[in-house]
Amino acid sequence: MGKLVVVNRREFLIAAALPLYAAGPLQTFSGEEARLVEALCDQVIPADDSPGAKQAGVLYYIDRQLAGPLQRFEPAYHGGLSNLRRECQDRTGRDFADLPFLEQTKFLEGIEAGRAEKLISFWRLVIDHTMQGFYGSPANGGNRDAASWDMLGIRDVMGGHSH
Amino acid sequence: MAEQLALGGFGVVLLERGRWQKFSETRHDELRSQRTTVLGNAFGPDDQHDVRLAQMADGSFQKVLPSEGAYNNIAACVGGGTFSYGAMAWRYMERDFRMRSVYGAPEGSTLEDWPISYQDLEPFYTKAEWGIGVSGKAGANPFESPRQKPYPMPPLPFNREASVLAAAAKRIGLHAFPIPMAINSVPYQGRPACIGCPHCVGFACEVNAKNSTAVTTIPRAIATKLCELRTGCVASRISMQAGNKAAAVEYFQDGKLYEQPCRAVVVSCSATESPRLLFNSATNLFPQGLGNNNGWVGRNLQGHAYSGASGIFEKDLFDGLGPAARVACCDFNHGLPNGLKGGAMLANEFICLPYLYARSVPPQVPRWGIQHKRFVRENYKRTVGVKGPVQEMPVFECRVELAPDLKDNWGIPSLRISGHRHPHDVEVGKFIAAKAEEWLKEAGAVTTWKSLPGRGVSGGQHQAGTCRMGSDPKTSVVDRNCRIHDLDNVYVVDGSVHVNNGGFNPSLTIQAIAYWASAHMLKELRGA
Repeated sequence: MGKLVVVNRREFLIAAALPLYAAGPLQTFSGEEARLVEALCDQVIPADDSPGAKQAGVLYYIDRQLAGPLQRFEPAYHGGLSNLRRECQDRTGRDFADLPFLEQTKFLEGIEAGRAEKLISFWRLVIDHTMQGFYGSPANGGNRDAASWDMLGIRDVMGGHSH
Repeated sequence: MAEQLALGGFGVVLLERGRWQKFSETRHDELRSQRTTVLGNAFGPDDQHDVRLAQMADGSFQKVLPSEGAYNNIAACVGGGTFSYGAMAWRYMERDFRMRSVYGAPEGSTLEDWPISYQDLEPFYTKAEWGIGVSGKAGANPFESPRQKPYPMPPLPFNREASVLAAAAKRIGLHAFPIPMAINSVPYQGRPACIGCPHCVGFACEVNAKNSTAVTTIPRAIATKLCELRTGCVASRISMQAGNKAAAVEYFQDGKLYEQPCRAVVVSCSATESPRLLFNSATNLFPQGLGNNNGWVGRNLQGHAYSGASGIFEKDLFDGLGPAARVACCDFNHGLPNGLKGGAMLANEFICLPYLYARSVPPQVPRWGIQHKRFVRENYKRTVGVKGPVQEMPVFECRVELAPDLKDNWGIPSLRISGHRHPHDVEVGKFIAAKAEEWLKEAGAVTTWKSLPGRGVSGGQHQAGTCRMGSDPKTSVVDRNCRIHDLDNVYVVDGSVHVNNGGFNPSLTIQAIAYWASAHMLKELRGA
């Protein structure tokens, strides 16, 4: 049985407010989920000479769109993230977000190689949404400072007409 | 249709399920464009009001929303698909109207000749080109069937990649020319010339240089004061008088059901939604839906089996000049070897925006990770695509029908879509892709890869065929004038009537048929 926690009204209001995570408030994810999503996105598009998904704020694209047009995928995220966390604990004894970058990559390659069947479709969803958040219009919450358009050298072309 | 009937002196009520849209509402968001609707359809219908069933690879049916590919959506706004289309404005060729005579039907296909010829339609193609506004170069395509009049506007100039491709075409004996586009190359009908922005196909035009019906024929119809456009009106049923005559159209507006009495009905809802309205208008005389006593409504759903190749060049060819699609050849529309029937025109692609590009890297590139990112960064401006809409062999089992127990937000029975594309389309696709690859290599592509069609049901933006035009009521739905056999006053005028869909984007042919059918309808209405 869970412990009954008594909170006063002020504490309750604070807890009910949107959780803040790094660069902004979250609408869908808990702080813990956000950390995991951010790590996954950065695997899809890592930083090198140009920003990766984390710097481009892809997490905030996904978080915001899951509360909007992509709402139908919200259960897949909550379920997928908890499955992934558990799978990673089982295999490595650690939290995915705490693993060194290359070990994270290895774990995800393992998923793709069929080592965790139930996670494949979730991982594909994350890949797709990360691409959307990174390469799509900054107006949707990702692609911060039009980072990907700068990377491709098309900022002028994309933004040169009324956006 | 509305323009021609109103100009002819008849009162027209235009029921549009969508609404007027402005560029400022949708702007340039790739993720809501008509090509990549991942965040919803900018031009309707929205995911909250409509739903269909689509057949999955294992044969089962699954619910799909309008913004999902398997829904096979056509935009629902004033102007419909033309409001955000790429605006290629092709005439089909003489042989496209005589496919069965020229080639014979392959096994498993209902391939047939049209009951009208290219010559019948030619004056109406001209009307469409001048009425809608098409830029192009008459005589530049040696394979084009004879035309009476040149285009009303000169072609859009070649961009960088089109120049490179045109020069290469010459070296390998292909006949490249500027694509005819329903886009103003010079000011036309009081609207400006194209400004060459990169957001063309899938977007509203910010300067109204793209010639949708929303900026051409519909405003002209309304200007006659004889045409009333009612937006937000979802037609649910055509109600019949005793016998074979339609009496009214029932429709929902703001949640209420209305009835518009009429002398005649023109159904122009797309090759998926037009059959749906006919199914939903069943009566005792037509228990399977209007015009469907022989079971042909909703059959022969087709689109195009797009095939082609992409190539990476050593130098940047991207110049950001939209609509990047500017050069084509028709060397492979007909007369292919090995008994292949039909074919496709080949054209360079519209600008591939970053998300779509990232999702269409060649097979040897990983789908994610640093190598994927590097590939996109290094090659985005050096990649050129050449593709063609392969003419499909119609298949009777490719169909739309009413879905059991599924209704839209208004309580109107929804559709389900099923079937498999004919294997012959894939064979033609392979040939076309190989030719696209050859063209790219000659132009200097150092790496190339093909894209080939699968066997899934076809439809999409080019959906056609589901209310076939024909002389024999047993094997078609409408007559040569687009009137439903057995009915006195119900017409279908959209891609549904196409017997086959040519190796070209179909919009100009749909428009030409609208001019053709309205000429006939005016005669009927006046005679009555």
